[in-house]
Amino acid sequence: MNGHEIHTMTPDITLNPPEKNSYRYLFRRFTLLTVVCSIVPLLLVGWGLNIHYTYFAQTRIVNAFEEQVANHGRFIEQFLREQSTKLRLVADTHSKKDLRQPGSLMNIFETMNREQPYIMDLGVIDQLGNHLAYIGPYDLLDKVYFHEDWFKQVMQKGLYISDMFMGFRQEPHFIIAVLRREGDDQWILRATINTRVFRTLVENMRIGETGEVYLVNTQGVYQTTPRFGGSIMDQADVAVEPFKDPVSVEVFKKNNTSPFSGQVVGRYWLTHPEWMLVVKQARSETFEEMDRARFVNLVFLHLSALSILVAAIFITRYMVGIIRKRDDHAARLNNQLMQASKLASIGELSAGVAHEINNPVAIIMTERQLLLDQFQQTTIEDPAFKDQFLSSMDQIAVQSQRCKRITHNLLRFSRRTRSMIESIDLNRFVAEVVDLMERETKTSGIRLLTDLDPDLPAIQSDSSQLQQVFLNLITNAVDAHEGKPYGSIRISTRYDADARGIFLSIADTGTGIDSKHLDRIFDPFFTTKPVGKGTGLGLSICYSIIRQLKGNITVKSEPGEGTEFIIFLPLTLKEKENGESGQSGPDKTSDPSM
Amino acid sequence: MKGSKILLVDDEIVFTTNMSRLLVNRGYQVTAVNSGDAAVQELEKDDFDVVVLDLKMPGMDGIATLKEIKKLDLFTQTLILTGHGSIDSALDAVRLGAYDYLTKPCEIDDLVSKIECAWQKKDEHVKEEMQENVQKIIESPHSVFDLYPSKDKKK
Ligand SMILES: Nc1ncnc2c1ncn2[C@@H]1O[C@H](COP(=O)(O)OP(=O)(O)OP(=O)(O)O)[C@@H](O)[C@H]1O
Ligand SMILES: [Mg+2]
Repeated sequence: MNGHEIHTMTPDITLNPPEKNSYRYLFRRFTLLTVVCSIVPLLLVGWGLNIHYTYFAQTRIVNAFEEQVANHGRFIEQFLREQSTKLRLVADTHSKKDLRQPGSLMNIFETMNREQPYIMDLGVIDQLGNHLAYIGPYDLLDKVYFHEDWFKQVMQKGLYISDMFMGFRQEPHFIIAVLRREGDDQWILRATINTRVFRTLVENMRIGETGEVYLVNTQGVYQTTPRFGGSIMDQADVAVEPFKDPVSVEVFKKNNTSPFSGQVVGRYWLTHPEWMLVVKQARSETFEEMDRARFVNLVFLHLSALSILVAAIFITRYMVGIIRKRDDHAARLNNQLMQASKLASIGELSAGVAHEINNPVAIIMTERQLLLDQFQQTTIEDPAFKDQFLSSMDQIAVQSQRCKRITHNLLRFSRRTRSMIESIDLNRFVAEVVDLMERETKTSGIRLLTDLDPDLPAIQSDSSQLQQVFLNLITNAVDAHEGKPYGSIRISTRYDADARGIFLSIADTGTGIDSKHLDRIFDPFFTTKPVGKGTGLGLSICYSIIRQLKGNITVKSEPGEGTEFIIFLPLTLKEKENGESGQSGPDKTSDPSM
Repeated sequence: MKGSKILLVDDEIVFTTNMSRLLVNRGYQVTAVNSGDAAVQELEKDDFDVVVLDLKMPGMDGIATLKEIKKLDLFTQTLILTGHGSIDSALDAVRLGAYDYLTKPCEIDDLVSKIECAWQKKDEHVKEEMQENVQKIIESPHSVFDLYPSKDKKK
């Protein structure tokens, strides 16, 4: 029967909750779904906005930069034009003679420099290039400029602003010269712009830590000293494109090959002279605020994505946990149902089989008796035959009794049709149970021992219910020996006259019960056995039966040593429960059978 | 009591033939039938001391047969023989007025001793009844023929 039970149990496993892995799969699916449904759109929108914002901000910054460069260029142009206009005014309003008068040129020089020391020196030169008058820090009165480039230019054009050159004084400078015609006479008024002041003027622009502003001429020669590297009159490494748009701004990506890598470069072409204003700034500085805003933006975006992810994981874990609990619960219920129906069908089956077996055995018994009757009436000489015959007859009787006992136990086991209070000899009852269980325990190396009180009074109780209790407890005890090659289960009875009841003890040498489980083992569905093996109902059924029989069940356990269940059963149920059992009251009528 | 009349009711023919031979060997007068209906008919025809009745039979089963027998209102005692699968119904039968029950398979000696007990019970009943009747006759004698109940009927 045992083997049968194990066999029929196998299909149950398919009803067990899905494997652990599938929960992990579910978890992954849920998390993925949440991520796809919330984080991905969030990130897409976030990134999209960011890119859009970047583009927008960059355009605005570049435009502002361009505006600034153009303004500054115009400002420099304006300055040069102003100086030229002043010179032109002086030349037009004075005659050569006026200017040659002592103090007169000095007067003009001071007037022109009243606001700022814009010009370094001032000179009047005749048409042959000889200095007629000069105010300035250098001693240039004897210099002849007839062969100088600027002299030729000014004679040709009437107004000339030169590039930076060294000249006689051997210092970088540039001049503005105007030609004045007085009848046949021509003379030139020439001013040198203060290089230092001009540089301050050119650099008078908000360009931050990394910025620099300088001028180059059409040949790409520095017209002012740049802030970083290079000096005035050196060849600049900036490519001078032919005069095109008056203003342009270029943003260079960071790559090491270009001299402008990672920089924003603005260019502005002055018309007169043809100089190019170059404004450079590190890209990172120009876009500093935008970059910071972007960074903050992205940090917030990713933080919220992260928090959604974390929340998703937690919620999913929680939900999967719930699902898992439900599944476990359902599986347990399912199992319990299966077990119950299995027990019921086993019960029915065994009852039928037992009944059918009893009839032929009864016939065998009558045949035996007939033979015995016959035997007694005939005289048989052969003593050996006589002996053999009689011992065979005894064997037949013994084996028939054995059949009867087996079917009897089977029937008792399956009998649960109705609760019936009857008088029970517990010792005999225990012997019966042991008899029934012995076959099972023997195969697992466990001995069933009994220690029975000989002076045990009969009690009023329900034997089929008690049988269930015993079967459950002994099954548990057998299970507790799993992994141990041998062990024993001792069942003892003891009459306690004071308590007016009987103490039954079932002690095993199994694994024992963990102390943290002790107060939960009677709970329904509490089990430490894997799903499919234990329903966790055994002890709770025992508990409810014993309570129903007005008794008590307690447990003592030493982990590793063993467990002892102690059941107290009152001698009679009547005292405490008058009306209820009175109705069924078949105990009297069942007496004769006992 | 040797010579007691016994009615054996069981659907297993082999069982009834064997059992009746055994009981005859032990000095009883045995009639064997194989169904409840036949048993009731037999009881209507004839007097019996003890009926040995199997519970599980096709057609009219033991309990129904017992009820029918009770209706006949006889002194006859009934012993229930059960395959034990129906122990609950055996107890029912006892409650319905069967004298006792036995589980199959049983030793012939057990059966004989129960039959003896049943016979004694029947005998007591009969004697009580007779005493009552004698008392009645002493108190108000009408007819001497009332002294012995005709057949085994109580009244
Ligand atoms: N004799 C024992 N020794 C050690 N542990 C025990 C013993 N009896 C019960 N237990 C523990 O108590 C738990 C509950 O037992 P219970 O009989 O209620 O359920 P089960 O045996 O797990 O399942 P079921 O009896 O429904 O098949 C068991 O899982 C086991 O851990
Ligand atoms: Mg259990």
